[in-house]
Amino acid sequence: MLNRSQDAAKLEPKVLSEAVLGDFRAVVGEKGIIVERNQLQTYECDGLTALRTLPAAVVLPRSREEVQAIVRICARHRIPFVARGAGTGLSGGALPFASGIVISFARMNRILAVDIPNQRITVEPGVINSHVTQRVAPSGHFYAPDPSSQSVCTIGGNVAENAGGAHCLKYGFTTTHVLALDVVLPNGEFVHLGSPAVDSPGYDLTGVFVGSEGTLGVVTAITLRIVKRAEAVQVLLAAYNSIAAAGQTVSDIIAASILPAAMEIMDRLSIEAAEASVHPNYPACEALLLIELDGPVAEVDVHMQQVREICRANGAWEDRLAQSEHERLLVWKGRKAAFAAAGRLAPNYIVQDGVIPRTKLPIILEEIGRMATATGLRVTNVFHAGDGNLHPIVLYNASIPGQEELAVDLSIRILHLCVDHGGSITGEHGVGKEKQQAMGYMYSEPDLDTMQLVRCAFDPHQLANPDKLFPRPRLCGEKSGPYTPHPLEVAGVAEYF
Amino acid sequence: MSDLTSLQTFADDLAAISGPEHIRVDENTFSVAPASTEEIAAVLRYANRNSITVGPWGGGTKQSWGNPIHPSLILHTHRLDTVREHTWQDMTCTVQAGCTWSSLQASLAKHSQFVALDPLWPDRATIGGIAATNDSGSLRLKYGSLRDLIIGMTIVLADGTISRSGGKVVKNVAGYDLHKLMTGAFGTLGVITEITFRLHSIPRHAQSFTIASADVEPLGQLLMKILDSHLSTQSLQLRSGSNGFTLDVRLATLPEVIRDQASSLSKLARSVQLEASDADSDVWNARQTHFDQAECFVVKATMLPSDISPIAATIRTLGGTSVTQATGIMTASIPASASSQLEHLRQKLEATGGSLTVLHHPAHATAVASTVLSDTLPLIRELKHRFDPNRILNPGRFVGGI
Repeated sequence: MLNRSQDAAKLEPKVLSEAVLGDFRAVVGEKGIIVERNQLQTYECDGLTALRTLPAAVVLPRSREEVQAIVRICARHRIPFVARGAGTGLSGGALPFASGIVISFARMNRILAVDIPNQRITVEPGVINSHVTQRVAPSGHFYAPDPSSQSVCTIGGNVAENAGGAHCLKYGFTTTHVLALDVVLPNGEFVHLGSPAVDSPGYDLTGVFVGSEGTLGVVTAITLRIVKRAEAVQVLLAAYNSIAAAGQTVSDIIAASILPAAMEIMDRLSIEAAEASVHPNYPACEALLLIELDGPVAEVDVHMQQVREICRANGAWEDRLAQSEHERLLVWKGRKAAFAAAGRLAPNYIVQDGVIPRTKLPIILEEIGRMATATGLRVTNVFHAGDGNLHPIVLYNASIPGQEELAVDLSIRILHLCVDHGGSITGEHGVGKEKQQAMGYMYSEPDLDTMQLVRCAFDPHQLANPDKLFPRPRLCGEKSGPYTPHPLEVAGVAEYF
Repeated sequence: MSDLTSLQTFADDLAAISGPEHIRVDENTFSVAPASTEEIAAVLRYANRNSITVGPWGGGTKQSWGNPIHPSLILHTHRLDTVREHTWQDMTCTVQAGCTWSSLQASLAKHSQFVALDPLWPDRATIGGIAATNDSGSLRLKYGSLRDLIIGMTIVLADGTISRSGGKVVKNVAGYDLHKLMTGAFGTLGVITEITFRLHSIPRHAQSFTIASADVEPLGQLLMKILDSHLSTQSLQLRSGSNGFTLDVRLATLPEVIRDQASSLSKLARSVQLEASDADSDVWNARQTHFDQAECFVVKATMLPSDISPIAATIRTLGGTSVTQATGIMTASIPASASSQLEHLRQKLEATGGSLTVLHHPAHATAVASTVLSDTLPLIRELKHRFDPNRILNPGRFVGGI
């Protein structure tokens, strides 16, 4: 988890030899490489700003061939590399490695092919998520995964993290929509995983690559599935006096065989923060439930009627249907601004991403409340209620000595609570650097060893985004057992905490 | 394994794990039916140590798929047949690999839920075998394939390591999706012993329609139009038979909406000068009948939706019949005499991002090779080597002789 000792690395960038830098320059040109300290700072962290490390260099390739040449140089000299899209990730997945390089995909942002009849689109990894939808909107299609950062985050980053979003309740995650990947493996080999047609023969390498957080290689092109936009969309806001009542409504809607496009809950603090920040005109209440239904007009009408009845039966004292596209977008704007708006509640905050079985919602929220009170910190909750994905936001003030440690500890204990109730430590943000240790709480050693088999098949020298995702560095072929110091640790290259 | 003493030792050792009544010896093949994940782990540890090849076996319905092999030990999963957990409020269930598809669905139906997949031979095929072969049917258009429905898995590796991936929640990005790697791996990376599925509500109202035509082209156009429409299409398939071609459509929505949608469908059909009529309920089992023809090649072909009608037409000119889901997965039976044209068809499919896999090879036909994606072969071999270095699990069975 967050550890201040990381800061040690940020003081001075590690230096690559002039010869190696020259090799990179030969590939990407003088303008395609960054080595100046003040320019490198742009890349020292992602959305998890508590962790910062300066990379030795940043390279900005323009093509698959350039990516391949860069990775070959890395493989030859055993230089670790971290691929980076927009750097919006929240788990430190794009945090640089001090002695390594960052491969930025900012200049690989072309849409390569669009096949509307077959509902497919092929893009470079630097293409922004919402640009995919913009490109296919004229024919009535959209790209379904919609992380809150969709107006800036890139498809490459989405693939690495298996990004979600509010609408994956109905439409599935990034992995559901990725058909094929062009990948440069950590040894510099170029491979096609998957195919434009479904079920390509061989192991489902696309399936295992999506969500591997940059640890298996670098993507250079992605073929995505696009979806026909529904005939009708309706958004309902329901106001409650308790989160439990809102949570019960969610369970009742699903029990009534209705599958909304999205179901989101926000608590009082989040509502107030969102209201102050983007003025979505939310009712002032303890819990707000936002329900989006989509489908054929007649079906949405019937289901919305049922949904409103379920809301009222659970004590909703207001159920307000967004009356126009503008109102609908405003409702969503408030929800998607929730993380940023937390900045209005406290100088610092940690966003967590635990998942629980939906029915455990009331117990868990009560327990989180108890834990927060005991710590003396405030926790506000925004969550994808339909799939049990919580985003508890732990508020704190880093300038008060000891408070950051308390906040970090509380957010970890919240994740452990999710695991104890049969859930997961992350629903969409990824493990990254942030939750490495929590992985060891969720999975047993044999489970992690098995994942390492995959890692080692793709990347035997562990150059692709090293020291992320797994609880501690481990060499390929190393067996689990009693703890023994890793060679990198003995050499003082890596630290285990 | 021909030495009599070692055969006896082998039998004794296996009996010590699973009990003598669960061991069978048949010529040179042993079979064992362990009762639990732990027993499977013990059997595999033993087999791995002694380099004994193992073939996992569920209902045995698809054992002829893939390259023919003869493992020394058949590992039956039928004693792992329990639905361990159905948390219907959370719409998930955990089931052991040896449970048949039908008995799982019967159990889930008590709460009007199901795993939204319609695999082959559901009365005999088991959860583990269906996952190992990544089978899917007509429901895939709406609900996705097993990679979208499986959220957690327990596997036993060749060395007996018991490993779990995923979990019991639908949304989960912690760690690699190993269950995706196992799905469709034909038991070459590990033995699946337990699966957790996400569930859906059984649709309360559905209605099927059929549109027939002697000429495939208007049906191909109609198929693309339906995919681009706002109809609540649950399943959509193109069939070819002796009387021409038919397009089957199943709509699933509220009863008050189906009537409107049925008339929209009729309107779409009329736009290509065809008429929609009510379908027989058994049209959705059409895929299974292709496997009854032992004298034919049975192939699985994959393609883009826009290629479905031309490929179906090609199959017909070869004297074959086919059924193709709108997702782009075709099951076809083709006379043994057409083997050289099949080679040609495979190349044609590969050129447009598709593939051809021979599922059944008629006894005396010239061999036809299945699609192998050569650039990923080294990676696939490396994965196999890491997971099963002694090559004891279904060796040679998979794509490229993995």
